[in-house]
Amino acid sequence: MTLSASFKAAEQRRPSRFGRMLEDRLPYLIVAPAILILLLVGLFPLIYSLIVSFQRITMTENDTSFVGLLNYAELFRDTRLWASLGHTTIITAIALPLELLVGFLMAQLFIDRMPGRQIFVALLVLPTVISPIVAGATWRLMFDVRFGPIGQILSFFAGEPVRILWTVNPSYVYPAIIICEVWQWSPFMFLLLLAALSNVDQSQLEAAEIDGASYLRVLRAIVLPAIAPVIAVACLIRGLDLVRIFDIIWALTEGGPGSMTETISLYTYVQGFSQFETSYTAAISFLVIALLTLITTLVLKRMELAR
Amino acid sequence: MADVKLSGVHKYYGNVHAVRGIDLTIADGEFAVLVGPSGCGKSTLLRTIAGLEDPDGGAITIGGAVVNDLRPRERNIAMVFQNYALYPYLTVSENIAFGLRARKTPEIEIRKRVSEAAEMLGIGNFLQRYPRQLSGGQRQRVAIGRAIVRKADLFLFDEPLSNLDAQLRDEMRTEIKRLHHEITTTMIYVTHDQVEAMTLADRIVLLRDGKIEQQGAPLELFEQPRTGFVAGFLGSPSINLIPATLKTNGPEAAVVFQSGGELTLPSAKARPLASMDGRDILVGIRPQHFSRAGGPLRDGVVSYSATADLIQPTGTRTFTTIRIGGVDAVAELQAHDVSSHGERIDLAIDLNRVVLIDPASGLVIA
Amino acid sequence: MRIGRLPARKARILAVRYLGAGIVTLLFLFPVYWLFMISFKTPDEIYHVPPLWIPGQIQFSNYYVLFRDGDVLAILNSVIVAGVSSGVAIVLGTLCAYSLARFGTGGENLAMWIISQRMIPPIAVVFPIFLIYVYFGLVDGYFGLILLYTAFNLPYVIWMMRGYIVDVPLELEESALVDGLNRWEVIWKVVFPMVRPGLMATSVFTFVFAWNDFLFALVLTRTEVITFPVMLTHYFGGQSNFWAKIAAMSVLGTLPIFVAVSVMQRYLVRGVSLGAVKG
Repeated sequence: MTLSASFKAAEQRRPSRFGRMLEDRLPYLIVAPAILILLLVGLFPLIYSLIVSFQRITMTENDTSFVGLLNYAELFRDTRLWASLGHTTIITAIALPLELLVGFLMAQLFIDRMPGRQIFVALLVLPTVISPIVAGATWRLMFDVRFGPIGQILSFFAGEPVRILWTVNPSYVYPAIIICEVWQWSPFMFLLLLAALSNVDQSQLEAAEIDGASYLRVLRAIVLPAIAPVIAVACLIRGLDLVRIFDIIWALTEGGPGSMTETISLYTYVQGFSQFETSYTAAISFLVIALLTLITTLVLKRMELAR
Repeated sequence: MADVKLSGVHKYYGNVHAVRGIDLTIADGEFAVLVGPSGCGKSTLLRTIAGLEDPDGGAITIGGAVVNDLRPRERNIAMVFQNYALYPYLTVSENIAFGLRARKTPEIEIRKRVSEAAEMLGIGNFLQRYPRQLSGGQRQRVAIGRAIVRKADLFLFDEPLSNLDAQLRDEMRTEIKRLHHEITTTMIYVTHDQVEAMTLADRIVLLRDGKIEQQGAPLELFEQPRTGFVAGFLGSPSINLIPATLKTNGPEAAVVFQSGGELTLPSAKARPLASMDGRDILVGIRPQHFSRAGGPLRDGVVSYSATADLIQPTGTRTFTTIRIGGVDAVAELQAHDVSSHGERIDLAIDLNRVVLIDPASGLVIA
Repeated sequence: MRIGRLPARKARILAVRYLGAGIVTLLFLFPVYWLFMISFKTPDEIYHVPPLWIPGQIQFSNYYVLFRDGDVLAILNSVIVAGVSSGVAIVLGTLCAYSLARFGTGGENLAMWIISQRMIPPIAVVFPIFLIYVYFGLVDGYFGLILLYTAFNLPYVIWMMRGYIVDVPLELEESALVDGLNRWEVIWKVVFPMVRPGLMATSVFTFVFAWNDFLFALVLTRTEVITFPVMLTHYFGGQSNFWAKIAAMSVLGTLPIFVAVSVMQRYLVRGVSLGAVKG
C-alpha cells in the first residue's frame, strides 16, 4: 500500500494549458487538414473554372473580359457536343441494364452455398478491379482481326473466315465497347447483388415455400423488394461511372472512327487539351456537372420515395 | 477514498431535461445505488459524475473538490460499463493494466496489482486470453478487475450485470457486494433492477423523470415508501393497488372497496386519516402481506376469503392471483398453501403494513 | 451433409451448378488468361495466324525488355504515387472521419459536401486543375499527382471510415477516457486498433483507385513521372501495336491489384458499394 501510495503522484496527469487547448479543439484540428485539401484541389478549381467559363480564353487569346453566358449559349449550337452526349447515353442505356442482368444471373447461380464458392467469387471479381486501361488493352488483343481469338472463334462457328475490324468498323465499335464494359463491370453488380441476396430474410423465403409460391412469384414479391435498395445504389454508382466513361474508350477506339464513339468526357478532353478552348471547356464541365447532379438527385429522390 | 456531493445538477439533451436539479450526498465508503425506470436519468447522472457528460448546471464535488472542470481522467475514478468495454485486441492482463499504463505506472507495480486483482476475482488462469475467448461472467470480472487495479477514489458501475443471464447475475451480484466489503471504496451503481438495488445498496436513490423520488436504506424505502411510485417500483411481484374509498368514524377508519367489501384499518394507520372521510384512495398491499389464515389473528390482521385463479409455484413460494376489491391481485403464499385453480382459500391480510396512496398526488398518506 | 451421401437428385443439381459456375468463370477469365499468355509468348507466337491458345514455352523476354528499356519505372512511379497518396489520405481521412462520427463536426451538411466531392466527374475538374498546376509548376512531378490522388481519395476514406468508426462501441472510448487517456491517445490507442481491418481494406481500395487512374495521369504527366496506365497507352499505335509490351506491362500493373484484392476479399462488397452494402 505504501508502494502504491508513492505512485499516486505519477498517476495524476494534469496536462498543460496548451495540451488542454489542443484537446478542446481536437474535433476541428483533425478535420482541418482533410477539408483544406478538399477545398484546395476540389473546390478551388471548380470556382476558378466557373469564373473562366464566363470569360473568353482560348489557345491564342487570353481575353479575361466577361462575356456573360456566351459560352453556355454556344453549347446549344455545338452539334458535336450533343452527338457526344448521345453516344454517352447509348452506351449507358445499353451497358447498365446488361451489367445488372448479367450480374443478377451470376448472383443467382452462386447464391446457394457450395464448396469452393469463395474461390469462384474471388476469380470472377478480377475484371472489376483491374485498371480500365488494362481492360481496354486486353480486349484490343482479344478483338484483333488477325491475332485475336474472337475472330478465330467466330470463324470456327461460322465455318468460314470472319474478319471483323471491331475497333474500326462503324457497325461493331459500339458492341466492342459494350462487351468490354459489361465484361469489366458485371462482376461488380454480381458482387453487390450476391451480398444483397444473401441478406434476404431466409424465414420469408421458407414461409413462401411452405405456402407453395412459384419461383417468379417469390422473386417478385419477396426477393426484388428486399434487394431493391442495393440495386438502386449499384445502378447509381455504375450509372455515374458510365456517364463519365473515358478510359475504356480511350484504350479501345480513342473516340473513333472519326468521332463516332466520342463520349462527353472524351469531347471535353479534346476541347481542353487539343483545341485549348479554355473557357468553352469550362462551360462544358459545368454542363456535365449539372447533368450528373440532376441524375443523382433524381435517383436519390426516387430512393427516398420508395423507402 | 472520497465522498461525493451533488448540488443542483441539471442536464439537458437538446430539449429533453434529463436531470432536473439533483441534490445528493454520498458518504465516503458508501455503496449507493441509483435506480429507476429507463429514461429516469440515472445513467446520465452517473456519466455526469464520471465527467463523460458536462452538467448544464450545479456542482459536482468528489473528495471535497469541485470537479466540474476536470476531465474524466483527472477525477481519479474507475468505471465499469454495461457492455464491459474490454479492448478486443488486448489480452485480459493487458486490458486490466490498460489504465495503469495510461498513467505511466511502473511495470513492477502494474504486475503486482494485476495479479492481486486477478486473484481476488478468480481470473488468474485467463490472463493471457483475449476477451472473445471468455464467457460473459468472466468478461465482467475482467472489467471489474480493470477498475480495481486503478485504486481509484470512486467506483462507478453502469448497469454492469444487465447483459448476464439470471444465474450469473446472482453470482456476480454477490461478488460485487463482497468486493465492496474488501476494498471499501465509495461506489455508485446504476441499475433498473430493483432486486440488485435492494441487495447491494447501503443507500438506494430512486430516480424518476430526472428527479430524486426518494432515497434511503433499502428496507426504509421498501417499508416506508413516500410515494405510490416508490411502493410500486420496489418489491417483486409488484405491490397490489386496489381502488377504494375511505370511511372514517372518529378515531376509526376503514377502506371500502368499490366492489363492496370493507377492511377496518388498525388504529396506528387510522390516526392520520381522521379528516379524510369519503376520499378516494389506492390501497397498496404487497403480495408478501397475504398469508393463509390459520389460528387466531394478530392485531391489525384481517381475514379475507378469496378464490384462487392463476397459480404460479416457484418452489418455495407460490404466487396466486385472487380477486380483491374488483381487481386482480397477487398473493405470495407458502408452496403448498394452494393447489388448484378455483380453490376457495381463507387469507389473512396484514393491514399494519398496508400503504394508502392518494391517487391524485401519488403521495403515500398512511 | 456430406457430398458423398447426397441423394441423386441433389447431386445432379449440384453438378449442373458447378458446370454453370465453371462456364461463367471461364468466360470471364478467358481475356485475363489471354493477356497473361501473350506476355509469355515469343514474337513469332504472338503474330501467328491463326492465334495460338497455348504458348510453346514460358519465357520472360517480354518482361526483360521492359526492365532493359526502363519502362518498369512507370510501375515504380505508380507504386510511389499510389502508395504515398493513399497513406496520406488514410491518415487525414480517418482523423476527419473520427471527428464527423463522434463529434458531429459540421453536421450532416459537411458530411454530404464531402461525399458530393466524390461525385464530381474528374473530367470536369481535370482541365482547371491542369491550368492551376501549370501555373504552380506541379505538372510532371510526384507532389502534384500525390496531392491530387490524396484529394481524390479523401472523400472515399472519410465516408468509409466514418462507417467503421460509428461501429466502434462508444463505451470503449469512454472507458479509456476514464482510465486516463486524453482524446488524442484514445484515437491512437483505441480507435485505430478497433478499425484496423477497415483501415486496411480502405487503404487497399484507395491504392487501387490511384493505381488505376488514367485521366489525371494522362493530363499531368509528361516525361518524368509517367504512371503505368499512361505508359501502357504509349504502346498503342494505329496499325502496329506492341503486343508483347502491352501484355507484359498490363500483367505487371495488374498483379499487385490481384494480390491486394484477394487478401481483402472479405471487405470487397462494403468497399466498392461505398459502404451502402455490408457484405
